[in-house]
Amino acid sequence: MARRPRILRYFGYALLFGAVLASAVVLYLDLRVTREFEGRRFALPARIYARALELHAGTRIPQADLEHELRQLAYKEKPASEDPPGWFARREDELEIGLRPFMFWDGAQAPRRVRVLFDSGVVRRVEDADGREVALVRLEPLAIGGIYPAGNEDRELVRLRDVPPELVKALIATEDRKFYSHAGFDLRGILRAAARAVLNLGSERVQGGSTITQQLVKNFFLTPERTVRRKATELVMAVLLEMHYGKEEILETYLNEIYLGQDRDRAIHGVGLAAQFYFGKEARYLNLAESALLVGMLKGPAVYDPRRHAQAALERRNLVLRETRDQGFITPDQYAQARATPLGLSPRPMGTSPHPAFVQLVHRQLRRDYDDADLRTEGLRIFTSLDPRVQGAAEQALAKRLAQFDKERRFGEPGLEGAVVVTDPQSGEVQALVGGRDARYRGYNRALDAARPVGSLLKPAIYLTALAEPSRYTLVTPLDDGPFVWKSRGAPDWQPANYDRKFHGVVPLRMALAQSYNAASARLGTELGVDRVLDTVRRLGVERPLRPFASTLLGAAEMTPLEVAQMYQTIASGGFRTPVRAIREVTTQMGQPLQRYALQVNQAVPPEPIYLLTAALQGVVREGTGQSLRSFITPEVAAAGKTGTTDEQRDAWFAGFTGDRLAVVWIGYDDNRAARLSGAAAALPVWGELMASLAPEPLALPRPDSIETVWIDPQTNLRGDSACAGAVELPFVQGTAPEQRSPCATTAGAVVDAVDQGVKRAKSWLDRLFGR
Amino acid sequence: MKRFLLCLIVAGCAAPSPAPVEEPSKPEAQKPTETVAVAGLMESARADAAAGRLTNAAASLERALRLEPRNPRLWQELARVRLKQGDFTQAENLAARSSTWAGNDSALRAENWRVIAQAREAMGDGRGAQAARDNAERMAR
Repeated sequence: MARRPRILRYFGYALLFGAVLASAVVLYLDLRVTREFEGRRFALPARIYARALELHAGTRIPQADLEHELRQLAYKEKPASEDPPGWFARREDELEIGLRPFMFWDGAQAPRRVRVLFDSGVVRRVEDADGREVALVRLEPLAIGGIYPAGNEDRELVRLRDVPPELVKALIATEDRKFYSHAGFDLRGILRAAARAVLNLGSERVQGGSTITQQLVKNFFLTPERTVRRKATELVMAVLLEMHYGKEEILETYLNEIYLGQDRDRAIHGVGLAAQFYFGKEARYLNLAESALLVGMLKGPAVYDPRRHAQAALERRNLVLRETRDQGFITPDQYAQARATPLGLSPRPMGTSPHPAFVQLVHRQLRRDYDDADLRTEGLRIFTSLDPRVQGAAEQALAKRLAQFDKERRFGEPGLEGAVVVTDPQSGEVQALVGGRDARYRGYNRALDAARPVGSLLKPAIYLTALAEPSRYTLVTPLDDGPFVWKSRGAPDWQPANYDRKFHGVVPLRMALAQSYNAASARLGTELGVDRVLDTVRRLGVERPLRPFASTLLGAAEMTPLEVAQMYQTIASGGFRTPVRAIREVTTQMGQPLQRYALQVNQAVPPEPIYLLTAALQGVVREGTGQSLRSFITPEVAAAGKTGTTDEQRDAWFAGFTGDRLAVVWIGYDDNRAARLSGAAAALPVWGELMASLAPEPLALPRPDSIETVWIDPQTNLRGDSACAGAVELPFVQGTAPEQRSPCATTAGAVVDAVDQGVKRAKSWLDRLFGR
Repeated sequence: MKRFLLCLIVAGCAAPSPAPVEEPSKPEAQKPTETVAVAGLMESARADAAAGRLTNAAASLERALRLEPRNPRLWQELARVRLKQGDFTQAENLAARSSTWAGNDSALRAENWRVIAQAREAMGDGRGAQAARDNAERMAR
C-alpha cells in the first residue's frame, strides 16, 4: 500500500474537517431557516376596537357626528360610486355610505351601500340602494389602539393575492430585478460588494447587492451589524430559504415584514398596515402611484416620510415609477398618469392610541384572563364599549375647563389635574375614560390609579342605609344639624363642621343630603352604625376595604374615580350591581370568538330605598349643592347627582346620572396640596358641559309597587296639596308618609288632588281592563 | 335576605296583595312595540336559542338591550337563555330586572316569577320556588 506523504494526509484531514464543519454550519443554518421561517408567526398586537355604531331608525346621532366618525374611519367624502367601499356622499338630512366589509365578533358583514336619513339629530330611516328599509346595520368600529410587542411593532397581515400587481412590479423593478430568476443572491451584486469590501478592509463594512431574499433574511434572523461573516451567513441562509420555499412565499413574507415608518411610538410594518396608515385603505386598493410611494420609502422610511418630507417622498416615488417603466413593467401612459397624481395621504393617525387611558383599562381587564405575551403577539381582536363621541366630549369638557381654571387661578396655582369616567347605567359599560388633562399622555392614569378622599360622595350610602328602614326614616324625617361631637376610644374626638361653617338646626332628611350638611349626616351615620353604612358601601360594589371610623362616613375614605363610578352605577341601575367593564368580546385574528364578557346583574339593594335615594339625589340637583347644573342642562332631565369636596378643599368631585349616562368627575392637584376647590365650582361644570353636549335622556326610574307619592308642604314637612306654596310631590313607601295635614292644605286643594288621584286610578283600571 | 329583596321588587309577595293600584305616572309598560331593529335581534335570538346556540342568543339580546335598555321583554329573554345555560343566579336576577321595567304588565311579571321559580328549583330551593310560583299565580289572576 503506497503511503501518501504525511503533509498531504494532514491536508486531507483538514479538508475533511473543514467540509464537516462547513456542512455542520450549513446544516445548522438550514435547521434555523426552516424551523424559524415555518414556526415564525409575525408578532401581531392585540387590536382594540371602539364600539360599533349601530345604525337603525331611532339611532340618536346628529348627521355631523356620523360624518365625523366616518372621517375618523378614513372614509372618503365623494360622489356615490361602486368601488372601493369606504366612501360617503353627503346631502341635506341624508348620507349615502359605501360600507367596508368587516369581521365582527359574531360574523362577517359584507360591503354594502346604505342610505341613512336624518331628522333633527335622529336617524329616521336606513335603507339599501334599492330603497328597501334596513332594520339594523353596523358601522365598522374605530381601531383605538393595541397591545404591542417589543418595539411597538405593528402590522396588518396581507396575502400576496391581496397585494396589487403594480406594487409587486414597482418593488421588483426597484429592489431586485432578477428576483424571479435568481437563487437567493445576485452574483454581480455580491462581487461588486466584495470588491468594495476588499478595497476597504479597515472598516470591514459591507453594503449593497442585497436581493429581496437577503433583505428578508437580514430582517428576520440577523442583527443589523455589517460584517463579512454576517454577510456570508446571510448569503447561505438566503440560498437555503430559496431551496425550501417558493418565490411567492418569500415575497409575501417580505411584504409583511418590511418597516415602513413610524407613528409616534408605533412602528409601521408591512404593506397592509402601511396602506391603512398612509392612505386609509386596504392594501388591495392601492393604485400605482401609492404603491410606488410605499416602495420608494423602503430606502429610508424616515427620510422619505411623505407626511414630513412631502417633496423628497414625491421625487423618490417618481424615481420608482421611472424605474418601473424602464423595466417595461408599466406603459408610458400609466407612468405619465401616476406621475401626475398627488400624494393622496389620509389624515395622520395618533400613535399607539388616541385614548391611552381607556386602552390601559382594557389591558388591565384583559390581563385577568390572558397571558400578556399572547396579548402582544397573537393578533387578538378586542371589542370594547368605548364610545368615541362620549370620549371626545369628556376629553374636551375636562381640558377646556381646566385651561379656564388655570387662567383664572380661581382654585389655586395653575396645574390642576382631573379625571372623568362615563358609563352606561344599565349595562355598566365604560363609554369614556379620561386619565388627565392631556388625554393623549400615556402615563399616570388618574381615573384608575388616583385614590383620593371622596368627601361627600359617600353620604348617599348613609342615607340609603337609613331609607332602607322606612318605618324609621323617610325623605322628610327631621334630622338634627346641630354641633356634633363623636367620641370613640383610641381615637381623637371627631367634630365635623359644615362647609358653610354654620349649623342649620332641624332639617328634613332630604334637605340634609341636598345641602350636604355634615353634622346631620355624621349624626345619622353614627346613629345607624358605621359598620352598617360601610356594609351598604360594599353592597354598592366598592371592594376596597374602608376603615371603620366615623370620619370615613364623611369621606375620609379614598377611592379612585372608577371605584366611585361602580358605586354610583349600582344606584343608577335601581340597586342592581353591574360590574363596570370595558370589554365586550375577544376573537382570534381570524374572527373566531374566544370570549364574551357577559352582562351580569346582581340585586344588591332593594328597589324601594334606591328609589327614595334617587329622588333625594335629584333634589341635590334641583335645589341643593348641584343646582348650578341648571345652566348646563334643563330641569326636565331630572338628573341625580352629588357634589364632593374634601378637607382644605383639596379635591372636587361630582358624580351623577341621567336617563342614559352616568359620569364621575374628579379635579385636584397631583401633589394633593390644599386649594380652594369645591365639587360644585370645579367638578360640576365639567360634568354639566359633558352631559349637555350629549343631549341627555331624562331620568325616569321605574317606580316600585310599594311606593306612593304624596304632596308635602316644605314649610311644615307635613302632608300638603298643590295649593300649598312650593309644595313638592315626594315618594314614600306606602303608609310611611306624614299623616298630619299642613295648615296650608285647603279643602279645595285636597278635593282637586283627590279627583286627580281618582282619575289616575280609573285610567289605570281601564288600562288593565283593556289590557293596555 | 336576597330572596326577600327579590320579593320586594317583583311584587309584595309575602303580603296578600291587595287589588294592585297602579298609577299611570309610572313609566309606561313597554308593550310589544319594539323597533324593527330590536324585533329582528329578538327573532334571531329566539332562533339561536331554539337551535341551542345559546351564546349567540345571549349576544343578540345584549346587543338589543344596548338599543332598548328599558325593554322588559329583552331582560326576560336573556333570563331564559341564562336558565338554559344553567346560570341560575343570573336567570333569577335578570328576571327580577325585567320586572322592574315591566310597569303594570302583570302577565310579563307573572312570567318572570315562573323563570325565577325554575331557577330556584334548579338550585335546590324548593320553598323559594314555591313562593315564586305563588307569586306568578297571583300576578296572572
